[in-house]
Amino acid sequence: MPDPAGDPSPVPGERGTEEAGKADTGLPEAAVRRMTEHAFTSGLSVPDFAACLQMGLRPAGFVQGSSVMQWQWYGYSGAGSPFSPVGQWTAATPRSGGYQRQYPCPHGFVSAEHRLWGQNLEQTWIEDAWRSGYLAAFGRMVDETMDLGADGIVGVVDSWHPLTDMGVLEFHVFGTAVRRGEPDGPDGPGAGRGHRDRGPWSTYLAGQRLAKLLEAGYAPVSVVADVSDVRVWASCVTQYLAAGSVGAWGVRTTSDEITQVSEAQTAVRQLAREHVRAQLGPDSLNGASMQTTVREVGEGDADLQCVLRGNRVRRFRDFEPLPRPRPTVRLR
Amino acid sequence: MSEAGDLPEGAGHRLEELEHGLFTSDLSVNEFLLIKEVGFHPLGFVMGSSIYHIGIQTRRWGQSQELTKLTEAMYNARELAMSRMEEEAQELGADGVVGVRLDVNYYEWGKDAAEFIALGTAVKAEDGRSYRNQLGKPFTSDLSGQDFWTLMQTGYVPQGLVMGTCVYHIAHRGLGQTMASAGRNVELPNFTQALYEARELAMTRMQDEANQLAAAGIVGVRLEEKSHQWGSHTIEFLSLGTAVTRGEGEVTLPTPTTIISLDN
Repeated sequence: MPDPAGDPSPVPGERGTEEAGKADTGLPEAAVRRMTEHAFTSGLSVPDFAACLQMGLRPAGFVQGSSVMQWQWYGYSGAGSPFSPVGQWTAATPRSGGYQRQYPCPHGFVSAEHRLWGQNLEQTWIEDAWRSGYLAAFGRMVDETMDLGADGIVGVVDSWHPLTDMGVLEFHVFGTAVRRGEPDGPDGPGAGRGHRDRGPWSTYLAGQRLAKLLEAGYAPVSVVADVSDVRVWASCVTQYLAAGSVGAWGVRTTSDEITQVSEAQTAVRQLAREHVRAQLGPDSLNGASMQTTVREVGEGDADLQCVLRGNRVRRFRDFEPLPRPRPTVRLR
Repeated sequence: MSEAGDLPEGAGHRLEELEHGLFTSDLSVNEFLLIKEVGFHPLGFVMGSSIYHIGIQTRRWGQSQELTKLTEAMYNARELAMSRMEEEAQELGADGVVGVRLDVNYYEWGKDAAEFIALGTAVKAEDGRSYRNQLGKPFTSDLSGQDFWTLMQTGYVPQGLVMGTCVYHIAHRGLGQTMASAGRNVELPNFTQALYEARELAMTRMQDEANQLAAAGIVGVRLEEKSHQWGSHTIEFLSLGTAVTRGEGEVTLPTPTTIISLDN
């Protein structure tokens, strides 16, 4: 994830390097036309719009970025077969430092239905592709924001979803670009004014949630999102436990932990945290949300994906106690 | 009912009753109170409808392109429904319509036909000032009562519900294209460009409407994407929002009070 507050190039290699069909600014022609229109657009709800005005931030325009990726879950070739008596992972070596763990069969028996080993493997190539799509979309939104001369982006919404039925995935990121409209607006590292040469700041927050963050002495730096992906090739033990059987191989039939899957679940979350932490530098993550999805791909086999998102924030003044809240009861 | 101006007879009777003081509205009690608080009074529930035959347009299998005939159909049908709703509001002498909802319904009896409906609550200012928009028509907005109240506190007033649409055909991928990038997760620039173009066109058209109303801006922009009944490769990108202008006089925004709810 780029760091608009600290990195001179919000998305390395993005700006001005778009493919054919883009205007000189690096954005599609239609986007440039829209940006030159008179009225501002804002994806903010009315309460969020009012809160932004109250903070001295004025909407400059609805900004967005998109990237369509060819998407396949199976891209590695040359992987060894778990049914192979050799039992070695021959070519599917993860990126240096990537997580992997093997689970050998305790029975010493191989057949067409009995794997010699299982494996949990971090699919770094899927993580890289996801990051590439997300950053391309995010970078285009930043480009639109910079073309508007805005200081920051509030209320960022990001999504990725399959498009049509063609094995393609679209990353779409949008938000509302804002300018610092009043001299007495919020100040701090990136709170009121993004630096033209550093790119705008961004946050998933908008409205009163952003106001409270500033009130607590923190300024938004950037949205942060990263992914981890772990593929589980179930060992024979995992397969039997997942199927809820069978005593024949010496596996207990009572409720028991499925170690390989537990470790994969722990690893995928841990990896997502590490990826995000690597982007934070000295700053903190606020309002984090973690979303783990499991895609079953066979008996006991699964692909686990974890996306961790949040707001990178930086303290710009010491904490002062917030005003004492007034107790209220709603008449319903 | 070939033009927007011809309302059905049933509508005439209903509106006559409303003119005699009875009001109907789909506002909640809280919304009703807030609308009264900012000096408006609900006049009646207004609606407009248009059953539109959506034709077909040939599309090239392998080319991404806007389907202009479908774009026009989707736009005109909504515009007709909106105009009829505005006309009902005008009959009531309203200054505007709040809580506008725009729906599209499909029925089994009408192949390729769809009903476009616009619904909302007409309101009138109690102080006698006109809040009609630049074109002299009642303003429209999809704001709830709460949002309407909040917007008025900011010194902005609604001008109209503005929209832009673009129906776009996303190309199918040929075998050669698929094979060329087989086994790799890479960006497909042509597809990126197509979706970008479609969304930007919808938003530009929405902004054009706002400019016609001399609006200062648009709040609450929503981007909706639907394939309706055309299959997954044809998508309507619909952009909707409420155009606003600055009202008269300086406004000092109140500082929000921190509260703690004792409800639960």
